[in-house]
Amino acid sequence: MSEDVRILVVEDDRNIRQFVASALESEGYHVAAAGSLRQAGVELGARSPDLVMLDLGLPDGDGIPFIRDFRGWSAVPILVLSARSLETDKVAALDAGADDYLSKPFGVSELLARVRALLRRRGHGSEQEPPLIRFGDFEIDCVNRAVRRRGEVLHLTQIEYRLLLCLATHPGRVMTHRQLLAQVWGAQAVESHQYLRVYVGHLRQKIETDPTRPRHILTETGVGYRFQP
Amino acid sequence: MRIKSYGLGILACIALTLLIAPLRAAIDLSNVALFYVLLVVVMAVWSGRGPAAVTALLASLAFAYVFVPPAFSLAITQAQHLITASIMLGVALLVGHLTSRLKRHVEHAELREQHSRALYLLASQLTAARTRADVLGISEHFLATLFRVDDLRILAPGAAEALPEPLTPAGLADIVASRNLAILAVPSRGRTLTAVPLRVSKGLQGVLVFALDDATTLTAQVRELLETMASVVAVALERIHYADLARATGVRMASESLRNTILSALSHDLRTPLTALVGMADTVAEGRTAHPGDQQAMIVAIRDQALTINRLVSNLLEMARLQSGEITLNKAWQPVEEVVGASLQQMRLQLAQHPVKVEIMPALPPLEFDAVLMERALCNLLENAAKYSPPESEITLSATQAGNWLEISVCDRGPGLPTAEQAELFGLFRRGQRESNIPGVGLGLAIVRNIVEAHGGSVDATDRSGGGACFSLRLPLGEPPHVAELEVPA
Repeated sequence: MSEDVRILVVEDDRNIRQFVASALESEGYHVAAAGSLRQAGVELGARSPDLVMLDLGLPDGDGIPFIRDFRGWSAVPILVLSARSLETDKVAALDAGADDYLSKPFGVSELLARVRALLRRRGHGSEQEPPLIRFGDFEIDCVNRAVRRRGEVLHLTQIEYRLLLCLATHPGRVMTHRQLLAQVWGAQAVESHQYLRVYVGHLRQKIETDPTRPRHILTETGVGYRFQP
Repeated sequence: MRIKSYGLGILACIALTLLIAPLRAAIDLSNVALFYVLLVVVMAVWSGRGPAAVTALLASLAFAYVFVPPAFSLAITQAQHLITASIMLGVALLVGHLTSRLKRHVEHAELREQHSRALYLLASQLTAARTRADVLGISEHFLATLFRVDDLRILAPGAAEALPEPLTPAGLADIVASRNLAILAVPSRGRTLTAVPLRVSKGLQGVLVFALDDATTLTAQVRELLETMASVVAVALERIHYADLARATGVRMASESLRNTILSALSHDLRTPLTALVGMADTVAEGRTAHPGDQQAMIVAIRDQALTINRLVSNLLEMARLQSGEITLNKAWQPVEEVVGASLQQMRLQLAQHPVKVEIMPALPPLEFDAVLMERALCNLLENAAKYSPPESEITLSATQAGNWLEISVCDRGPGLPTAEQAELFGLFRRGQRESNIPGVGLGLAIVRNIVEAHGGSVDATDRSGGGACFSLRLPLGEPPHVAELEVPA
């Protein structure tokens, strides 16, 4: 499967570009590299990659407007590599249309795990949800809108169900507070972060063995939540 | 006031005439004249020169008309009586004049004394003034003893904005250039604006301006007083200016010494791991490892070393951000469990060798805080606990409510606190042991304290019974907003 997957790495530091490329190639991905936004534009047209890895601070411009433009015409997943430590920058990139981010410095295993998570999503093809999602001891039956733990039906409210579904259909990926609020409550609720925190708390009580040390719904402080199957 | 005292003089004259007229036959004419002179003296003491002179003229008319024969006629038939009346008028006028002058002198002296007492008080209060605002307050109090002032302020010599009506920047420049007191009429409100330049040996400290309802209170003496006051205030302002300058220099020196500490800490704590990094990388690159397994181990060590440097740099950046004073808290109401969980997740590698016990009091109210910073604070406490306690020893993270406070503690079974002053542990670049092979520059706890104090809380470190240390942070519990259940219908 990996053989036909093409990944474009946009990063101006030669060393980082090199180690990222060799890590990806060792997994069998085809890698193209670009050192600037201009070059990235050329490569995007020539190679039509399946995944773009993008550094935000490039010599010829800021990555965020680039993400916004790219999202205008393509649904290819974007993984941001960011040396910016402020959470607001990460949220800005994600809300602009990036799919996930990695803070520098990052390890190779972390990098490959993120890439796999993003490509898995692509593997499902369109936005069609799979009828049955499994994680841990749980099973989400999307047809009957039911969640079961080892076959036993778990009682969830409408909101809790939608929140869980929204997280579980994006495994391994960070979802910003805004994205979750918009998908679960609707566009008018995007600023009501409190509701989200309250319901994530409820959901953790129901699906985590130790809610203070969650295994499935992980907090990305200041950014959002990440679902780990 | 004036008219009243004239009227009083006339009335007193008439009353005296009516009082002694029936006794005309019994009292000698020269004694009657003395009665009138006495009245004029009383009037001079009472009301001043003008009323006394009027009283004197009236008294001599009354004397001539009622008492000098022929009675009830102004005609004076005997030369002797004319002399009596004239001398009476002359004496009355002279005594009235002298008396009123004496009175003015006394009043003047009293006013001077009052002014110098006020000035003395002003000067002694100004010595205690520490800011320009203090000076303004004391000046206002001083002026209030003289008259009702409004809108008192001290303008900088070059002030161009927020000038009181009708002062213009050009007008202010003129006053500054002339260095003299100026009185300007405020056209719209029928008041006056008084501007007193605050002169010092070199130039001006500013211009004191205030609005006044009644310009007539600005007598020559009051102006003189204002000038004196201005020089006292100017000296106070100059003193404050130099004190501020000295303080700023002190702060600069303190930040300079902080910078030196950072530089020396960095040169030691950053160079050591970097040296190891270069050496290990060389060893691997040149194939100098003795055993095949060594190479792998060394590469893992390189990675760990690099991550250590990364944490150090992150701490330094965080500290710089916190110390710059430009940090804005991104506060939100949230459960404490979430930030505890996120911190444990964040620190899972560092905590790998320690069992962690989490004790969170059930049903804790939500708290308003900046999640990113609070996670940072908890991570630093957890990292310290992991660094300073032996492997496999338990670390306890607990959260409890104590009155209006929420207390989060991280306790370990390490060596406990050093004997040094406990408050100093949270200072910059403080470490339990000065030289130690445990990496870090002593920024962790200082960051914790900065973050917690920015939230209105406090930090504390105590020895734990049974060995080990407890680091606690207390955060104020507020009034959480009510969250309605936003459940959408199916």
